[in-house]
Order: sequence, then C-alpha cells, then structure tokens
Amino acid sequence: MQISLQQVVPDFFETGKANGSQLWNQDIAFSTGENVHIIAPSGSGKTSFIHFLYGLRKDYSGNILYDNNNIKNYDAEKFATWRQQNISIIFQDLRLFTQQTVSQNLEIKRLLAPYHRESRITAMANRLGIEGKLTKLCSTCSYGEQQRIAIIRALQQPFDFLLLDEPFSHLDENNRQKAMELMQEEATERKAAIILTDLKKIDYFKAERLLYL
Amino acid sequence: MELSYKNIAPFLTAGQNKVSRWLSYLGLGVGVLLLLSSVQMYTNINHLIRDKNTRKNGTDFISITKTITNENMGRDNRFTDADIKELQRQPFIEDAAPLKANAFKVSANAGNMIPFSTDVFVEGLNTNFIDTVPDNFKWNEGDEFVPVIFSTDFLEMYNVFAPSWDLPQMSEKTASSVQLFLLCHGRNGDRQYKARIVAFSDRINSILVPENFLAQQNKVLEGVDNIPASRVFLKTRDANNPQLLSYLAGKDYHINKDKTKFGRVKGVLQAVVSGLAGFGVLVILLALVLFSFYLQLMIARSKDNLQLLLTLGYSPSWLSKTVAKKWIPVYVSIIVAALLATQLLHLGFQHFVTPARGELPIMIDWTVLVIAVLLLGLSVAINYRLVKKSLTEL
Repeated sequence: MQISLQQVVPDFFETGKANGSQLWNQDIAFSTGENVHIIAPSGSGKTSFIHFLYGLRKDYSGNILYDNNNIKNYDAEKFATWRQQNISIIFQDLRLFTQQTVSQNLEIKRLLAPYHRESRITAMANRLGIEGKLTKLCSTCSYGEQQRIAIIRALQQPFDFLLLDEPFSHLDENNRQKAMELMQEEATERKAAIILTDLKKIDYFKAERLLYL
Repeated sequence: MELSYKNIAPFLTAGQNKVSRWLSYLGLGVGVLLLLSSVQMYTNINHLIRDKNTRKNGTDFISITKTITNENMGRDNRFTDADIKELQRQPFIEDAAPLKANAFKVSANAGNMIPFSTDVFVEGLNTNFIDTVPDNFKWNEGDEFVPVIFSTDFLEMYNVFAPSWDLPQMSEKTASSVQLFLLCHGRNGDRQYKARIVAFSDRINSILVPENFLAQQNKVLEGVDNIPASRVFLKTRDANNPQLLSYLAGKDYHINKDKTKFGRVKGVLQAVVSGLAGFGVLVILLALVLFSFYLQLMIARSKDNLQLLLTLGYSPSWLSKTVAKKWIPVYVSIIVAALLATQLLHLGFQHFVTPARGELPIMIDWTVLVIAVLLLGLSVAINYRLVKKSLTEL
C-alpha cells in the first residue's frame, strides 16, 4: 500500500510559498511499514496536509493517490470504506462526541470495523491512565485526557496508515512516551505506516524519514 | 455485534418537539384511514349498484321515442335515417343508434320443458350500446342457434305473473339454461330457430337478437331491407344536460329516463367518495411534510455528530437506511391500525346500511390492501430519500 503525492499545493497558498518544502509541490510516496515524521512550523499548512491525506478537503492542486487511485475521485461511500479499513487519524482538534461518555466515543469507532475486542479498550485506557474516565462524559475530561481518548479511538480499527496531527500537544512527557509506544506497537502489529506532523522534532518517535513541510 | 440504530441513537438528538411528531403520526393515520375507507366505499358502491348500472365509461345511455299524441296517432311515428343523422350531429350527443324491430311475426316457446308459448317482438341494436354483450352474442348466416339478450325487467314481470299461470318462477341462471324455440313467420315462409338467453340487460327493455339476424329475417321473410326504428338509443356524457333535454323536448321526443337514475346516483356517490379519497391523499401529504420537518429538525440538531460519524468512516447510505428504518414499525403500526379501522367501518356499513346480508364480501377489498402496502412503501422511501438528502447536504 502506498500514498503518493504528485505536485500537491494548497489552493490558498500564495505563489512561492511552497518553495523549499520537501512535501508541497513534490512527487513523494509513503509506504506501509515506515514511520514518517513531518516537521512543520505554524502556518505552513500542516493540518491542511493531514486533511488532504484523509480526504476531508480537496482545495489543492496536484494529486494524492492511494494505490494509484486518485482520492479526489472517491465518492462518499468509497471514503467511508477507506476510512473504516485503510486509514485512521488523530485530529489536532480531537473531534470527540463531547456529550457522550468516553466509552461511547470509543465503542462507536470500534463497532464500525472491529479490530480489537471491547476488553482491549479498558487495557489501553489503563495503559494511558484514563481507565477511571471511561464512564464519564467526554466534556468533563481535561484536554490532555481527551487527547488520549482520541489516540485510543484511532487504534480501534484496521489501518495501513495512521495520520497524527500534533497528537501530544497537551500531554506531559511521560504520557507522550506511553502514547507513542502504544501507537507504534499498534502500527507494527498492522504493518502500517505512521505519518506524524508536529511543530518540532519528537525524539521518541523512531522515524525512518524526517521531512520539512 | 452488528451495528444497528441502537448504537447511533445516543448520537442523534431526538427532536424535542414531540407534539409535532405525534401530530404527524395522527395526520398520517387519519389520511390513510380516509383514503382506504374511501377506496373501500367506492368498491362497495360499485358492488351494490353494479347490477343496476346504466352508465358505462362515464356516459349515459338513454332511449327515446317520438311522443304519441292524439294528433299524430295515425301517422308513422318512427325515426327516419335523416332523424338519426340529425341526432348524431348534436354536440351533446356522442352517438345514436336505432333499435330496429322485426317486420315478421315471432312466437317463442320453451319446447316440452315449460308449457309456455307467446308472441314476442325482437329487436336489434348496435352492440356498443348494450351493457352486457357476451362473446357468443353472434349469429352467422346458416346458424340454427340464435343468442338472445333479455331485459331484466321482462324477467321480473314474468316472475310476477308466472305463479298465476302455473308456470315456474325462474332465476336469471335458470332462465339462461332454458332452451327456447323462435318461430319466425312471414309472407315468404316460416323459419324455426333454437335460442337461449345469453345475457340480461338492465339498460334495454327489449328482447335483443344480433342485428344481422334481424336484418336477414326481415329481408328473407318479409322482403324488407331497412325497417325504420321506433326507438333510438342515445349515448351522451350527461342525460340531464339542459341543452339535450330542451333539444329533445323541442323535437317532441320522449325520453325513457328512469334507467338513468341509478347511473346518476352512482355518479354522484362516486364523486363524493373520490373527493374524500382526494382529501385523504392531501392529509397524507401534509402529514408526510410535517414528519419530514421533524426529521430535518432532528438531523439539523444532530448535524455535528452526524458529520463526525461520516468523518470517522460511517457510510452515508448505511446511516440513511438505519435512521429511516427506525420508523418502519411506526409506519406499519399506523397503516395496520388504519386497515383495521377500515375493516370495522366496512362491517359497520354492511350491518347498518345494506339491508340484505351477503350483498357485500365480509373482508375489505384487495385493492385496499394493495394501496396500504403501496403507502407503506411510499412512506419508507420518502423517509429514506429525505434522510439521505439531508446527510449528503451536511
């Protein structure tokens, strides 16, 4: 499995803004099994890049191919199947159902394409220190706790690519490491790729490629 | 565990406006009941007045004769070809056909079966004007059998007098099975034919034989080619049209109108019932619109959650189907309740309105059931399309 970028440039970029980027306006491919770390300062289009890869936005020129299929041509049903089976994401803004419990937030994703048993949710919550929050409303959790909920949710499905958009911004060092370990274990189990974007280099993310946006 | 509506229900904000939801259910129930009971009533009316119907495809059939007065008694008061052509030209008359009579003498008897013999008259009429024309109402030259269409009034009359003549009373079925003999006598000779009643007519007070049989006998037995008609049958959109009535009065034509009365009563009843059915359809549409507002409100209130479900990989068509399916039991209950109420109304109608038992079937008509199933399919389909459209627009 491969995600290929062909001369992708956001429509809203001023001329020349993509110059010097190792991703924008380049031909580049990511394959399953590799870890890619993308370092991007604020305003360089980091979140847009992740949203383009996940198919949430199409306001770019160039092409993004998933196994030679242009994702711009996917319809809503195809995107649904793709997001169930091939690609998972942790949004920078988390996108949780704040009026539901933590368990409901995790189950609604797990049930869609079950990769783990329900008991695994408790084990992951234990590992990231939020086991006591499972029955609580999401809105009552701190941002750091919500970030860990979003991480666990992303790991409930099968995937070839795991997209991470600043996944640890509100976690302390200890929790960041625990979360990263968990994600790398899960990706290895699936022989999947992790594409992580952040403002600065994260030392405990063992990436084969380091790219600057 | 398979995903179902139960799993996504907590993510959908149920419409707070329960009143609008229940009103739409009630509206749908009332509309469906109105429509179903109107259709049932329509078939009931058809069933009850079928035997007395003189209307066919929305037209009236009436017969006219020239009014016989003391002044014109001695003259030939039959219709000429020119009279008939003039009638046919009138805009309010769709068609006119002469009821041709026999120029020869005819007597009928039932052989040895019933000791009965009488002089009769026979007439011929274009089959388009006859209400009951079976396939075997045909005669070819050389045939010894002549099919006869008999007036139901004549049979009734026979049954009134039969006991005093020591003759058996007869049902339509028995009368149809009696072998008759027609003895035709003219100045050129005699002919005998076997005959049988093949149908009964409510519209035409006569004994009808195929037109070509009559023409041939008139020619062979009496040497008459074209006999003028005493009666003419008219086909018209409305037998009570004032223009038609004043035209006929002006011509001194007498109308045999009693036969049109059932047709008019039935027409008025059917129009009333059709109006009720139309009102039912309107109420159903209003109820569906009201329910669609409720659904749209629910989807609008749950917009963020639904958007997030789609982002997480939920398929729009699965979501539409699952949300739409939730209301199938509601629709089924409403329509089954309306069907039961229609059945009760039908039984009530039988008990209180129709005087004789057994005139109507006990169960509601199959068309009502078909309409109920179609309405169910329509409601579910509209629901599904609406939810899918709303989800696509998110």
